[in-house]
Amino acid sequence: MDNSVACPSTPRWNIERPFLTGRFHQETKLTSQHTQYKGYSVNSFSSPGKESPVGCYHASVQELLVIDDILSALVGIEGRYTSIKKVNGKEDHFKFQIDASMDLALQELAKRMFPLCENFLLINQFVESRSQFKNGLVNHAFAAALRTLLLDYQAMVAQLEHQFRLGRLSMQGLWFYCQPLMGTMQALSTVIQKASLNKFTGSAVLNLLQSQAKAMSGDHVVRSLLEKMTQCASTAYLSILERWVYEGVIDDPYDEFFIAENKSLQKEALIQDYDAKYWQQRYSLKDDIPSFLSSAAETILITGKYLNVMRECGHNAQVPMSDNSKLTNFGANHHHLECIKAAYDFASGELLTLIKEKYDLTGKLRSIKRYLLLDQGDFLVHFMDMAREELAKRLDEISVEKLQSLLELALRTTAAAADPTHEDLTCCVERSSLLKRLSTLKDLDVNRPVSDSNDLEEPISITGLETFSLIYKVQWPLSLIISRKALTKYQLIFRFLFHCEYVNRQLCGAWQVHQGVRKLKMRGTGISRSSLLCRSMLKFINSLLHYLTFEVLEPNWHVMHCRLQTAKSIDEVIRCHDFFLEKCLKECLLLLPEVLKKVEKLKSTCLQYAAAAQWLISSSIELTSGTATADSNSVLQFEKDFNSELQSLEPILNNYSQAEPYLKHLAQWILGVGDDR
Amino acid sequence: MPREIITLQVGQCGNQIGMEFWKQLCLEHGISKDGILEDFATQGGDRKDVFFYQADDQHYIPRALLIDLEPRVINAIQNSEYRNLYNHENIFVADHGGGAGNNWASGYHQGEQVQEDIMDMVDREVDGSDSLEGFVLCHSIAGGTGSGMGSYLLETLNDRYSKKLVQTYSVFPNQSESSDVVVQPYNSLLTLKRLTLNADCVVVLDNTALNKIAVERLHLTNPTFAQTNSLVSTVMSASTTTLRYPGYMNNDLVGLLASLIPTPRCHFLMTGYTPLTVERQANVIRKTTVLDVMRRLLQTKNIMVSSHARTKEASQAKYISILNIIQGEVDPTQVHESLQRIRERKLVNFIEWGPASIQVALSRKSPYVQTAHRVSGLMLASHTSIRHLFSKCLSQYEKLRKKQAFLDNYRKFPMFQDDLSEFDESREVIESLVDEYKACESPDYIKWGMEDPDGVLTGEGNATGSVDPKLAV
Repeated sequence: MDNSVACPSTPRWNIERPFLTGRFHQETKLTSQHTQYKGYSVNSFSSPGKESPVGCYHASVQELLVIDDILSALVGIEGRYTSIKKVNGKEDHFKFQIDASMDLALQELAKRMFPLCENFLLINQFVESRSQFKNGLVNHAFAAALRTLLLDYQAMVAQLEHQFRLGRLSMQGLWFYCQPLMGTMQALSTVIQKASLNKFTGSAVLNLLQSQAKAMSGDHVVRSLLEKMTQCASTAYLSILERWVYEGVIDDPYDEFFIAENKSLQKEALIQDYDAKYWQQRYSLKDDIPSFLSSAAETILITGKYLNVMRECGHNAQVPMSDNSKLTNFGANHHHLECIKAAYDFASGELLTLIKEKYDLTGKLRSIKRYLLLDQGDFLVHFMDMAREELAKRLDEISVEKLQSLLELALRTTAAAADPTHEDLTCCVERSSLLKRLSTLKDLDVNRPVSDSNDLEEPISITGLETFSLIYKVQWPLSLIISRKALTKYQLIFRFLFHCEYVNRQLCGAWQVHQGVRKLKMRGTGISRSSLLCRSMLKFINSLLHYLTFEVLEPNWHVMHCRLQTAKSIDEVIRCHDFFLEKCLKECLLLLPEVLKKVEKLKSTCLQYAAAAQWLISSSIELTSGTATADSNSVLQFEKDFNSELQSLEPILNNYSQAEPYLKHLAQWILGVGDDR
Repeated sequence: MPREIITLQVGQCGNQIGMEFWKQLCLEHGISKDGILEDFATQGGDRKDVFFYQADDQHYIPRALLIDLEPRVINAIQNSEYRNLYNHENIFVADHGGGAGNNWASGYHQGEQVQEDIMDMVDREVDGSDSLEGFVLCHSIAGGTGSGMGSYLLETLNDRYSKKLVQTYSVFPNQSESSDVVVQPYNSLLTLKRLTLNADCVVVLDNTALNKIAVERLHLTNPTFAQTNSLVSTVMSASTTTLRYPGYMNNDLVGLLASLIPTPRCHFLMTGYTPLTVERQANVIRKTTVLDVMRRLLQTKNIMVSSHARTKEASQAKYISILNIIQGEVDPTQVHESLQRIRERKLVNFIEWGPASIQVALSRKSPYVQTAHRVSGLMLASHTSIRHLFSKCLSQYEKLRKKQAFLDNYRKFPMFQDDLSEFDESREVIESLVDEYKACESPDYIKWGMEDPDGVLTGEGNATGSVDPKLAV
């Protein structure tokens, strides 16, 4: 029993007055010498020395005496010629003894009945001791059932005594009446001996009773008695279960239930903590599951969890109950399993409706897709227009507040304005580059090449363009699905897309520079070469973006969306969503640092070229007029760098595409591999 | 209201197609004929502000300038049910109302004279936008106003707003039948020069092909202007969907064009659209999957540039770039498969000197326009066969020029007073354009620029700059 569970203590008189509890049987011999009031009992009842030995009487008198004694013994009291001895000094092991001078036939008969007396003592004592608070509800219920049984038993003894007083009870008669009880009392005492030996509480008691009932399946009477006991003992347990399964509340003062609640895990952590374990570990199964529930334990856990979520949402979470669905109507015919199944169906259906309809999960996900996956990317065009200068600053010089206000402006003036959820969007500037950030997330299944120890050096001139990211506010209970971890994954994808879009933009700028010199005669100058290089680069970045959006994000989203429509439970929803993110991360190359590094290199070549385009073109113009000579190679140099980098990507992609087939698509897009022309 | 686009519709044809275009846009955005948002148009997610702005009373007003030298078409617009849509300050009709008499020089000259008025209007529109992306010009290249005045406007815009994009939707004359405009070859040639030098992108709408499509595909025996114009408006509205219904990519005009246009002068695009319908026509409902749509887009009969130009030397003709804008209920998982299929069947002949492939943009469809088919598609493509269209213009010009026919009409105007060198210059520009497109068909195009007799770069070009053949697909 867990010490942390605070129990009220039993009143002191229970300890001080053993006759109230039947505990005197254990204590008489020990305390008789010192205690006055207990000494009285010893003297009056158990000093055979003062009486004449029973053997002096005639056999018929002996019979009367012994019946009288046995009737006392049956309720646990020593008689003139019977006494209780402790066996081997063990606490709860007694033996009745009878005066040896008695008629042998009577002795034999009496000895046959002693086990019954001993069992009564044991049971009685068990009842008393288990009724104490600390033993838990199951023990209380079990003890109460036993107590009722003992009351019947005592009534029977009283009736026998009445018969005896009327002179109608012979020793044989007594034996006749006691006989049917022998087996059942024996079985019960076996059970309680095992229970007290192992100090069983809670579900262990139930398991014991059930296994014992099964073991006794040959003996109809005993079995039905034990089953009755099981049922009585489990009532309390089942009402705990009932509250959990029907209301999602753990009402378990003595820590007997098989579901544990870890109160230190707060639901707020889902929003803040990347590794939040709320959903997995806030409620968990313990080891001691009652065997009759073991097959349904998972379902029970989940049902309660669902109800609990609804309760946390302030939603009335109550499985509709009817008499028929009361779990306490315990029967052998698996009725409870059906009830649990029904409760589960109700809870999961209700929670799913709640999450989908009241909290609009799909809408939220769509809105995240709109902003973090750039599904509706027009706000970004405008944002980049306005925030270009701020983003190009070094990290410690960027004002996040300014970016935030620019972002809000961009959202208000583009298509996002019609969508109220855009207010949940804020921005941030992270401290490290994408590659570095990926390497710090250890739980991602990043495909790490062996030699990447030192080349993850942070680029010195990292700017907001590389680290800008969006944050989306998610509230409980949607944070169950869109947890911090999920959001982080969205952000990783966003940062990658954002930078690609930026490169695309810069190249578009370079393209426009070329457009500006359209009127010049270009044939034979570096300009036409440069415009073709610009085209190749645009083609590269467009293909990459196309691959990321239309080959990865959109189809995977589509699949997830369909699955969400048919999902049966919130756990399935969480699984689908996690799977979607995992797949996207992987297919967006974010888990392949080797490929990603190449892509980053290509992008930076593009950026360098875009930055130099204006200058390259003016120098080319000078070149045609025959003044400049040295700079003419620059375009070719860029071309060479870009092409060799692009070519070096091919073997890497080929290499990986064995294991990761989606890379074939990428190769097709950016390298044109597989066009076989 | 970022990335706005101002539309200039010049001349009879320009105004007609422009009007159809605005009709279509109003329908798609749920804007009534008076410019008021319809009650049902509550689904957000579209960008009306690219092409419209809101007046003080919340009316949507097109960012459009209606310009003509004769009043007929514009009067018709002003008497139509759409009369309240446009900003009346943005309508310009020449005082004399006499038109340009199908004379490019007249149109150009008149443009010069009314330049101030028109540029005032342009400047006002520009000031009314937050970050202007560019201009769109609708005109035809054969007549007088659209071609001549359009040319003048192109030059002026390019000069004045050199940082802004200029895109044109240019209707090319029907070359298969004798035209009522005898000087059409002159006009076309002179306009083509400006289209080559002063526009960033020209969407070629070939009347020959439009008529053919109307007759053969839509089974109209005598297609009216309105009917062919509705084809044009369909193409125009479809090619702007990515700007109006934002998606992952191509959310601005520059992004859209940059991926399509390889070199500064090769900026002529042809278009294809499927499934084609016109108003009041009983639709034949077809199965429309992404693959079906993409296949049909590649079929000659759906392409709005005359097929005789395209079948000539067809084996050499090559696509430089393709963008398919697919609208409607698309299963995104089909896209890759469809592209794969097209690749396997080798349905597209791409240039060999650089990377090329079909780009796809999935776009939303207007929720307010009901169509019988689930998916529709527009193809914007840069294809080398467009040079045959220019060659034809050149040859017709040569014929006329040899005869020295009708040149007096041009000599009346300042540009041609002294000599006709403008014609020769234009011819030279178009010839070099044709040459460049022809060079694009060769796998060695990348060296084309380098083989210039006095090109300094030739040596290095061969040594270091050639692209690995494996990459050149």
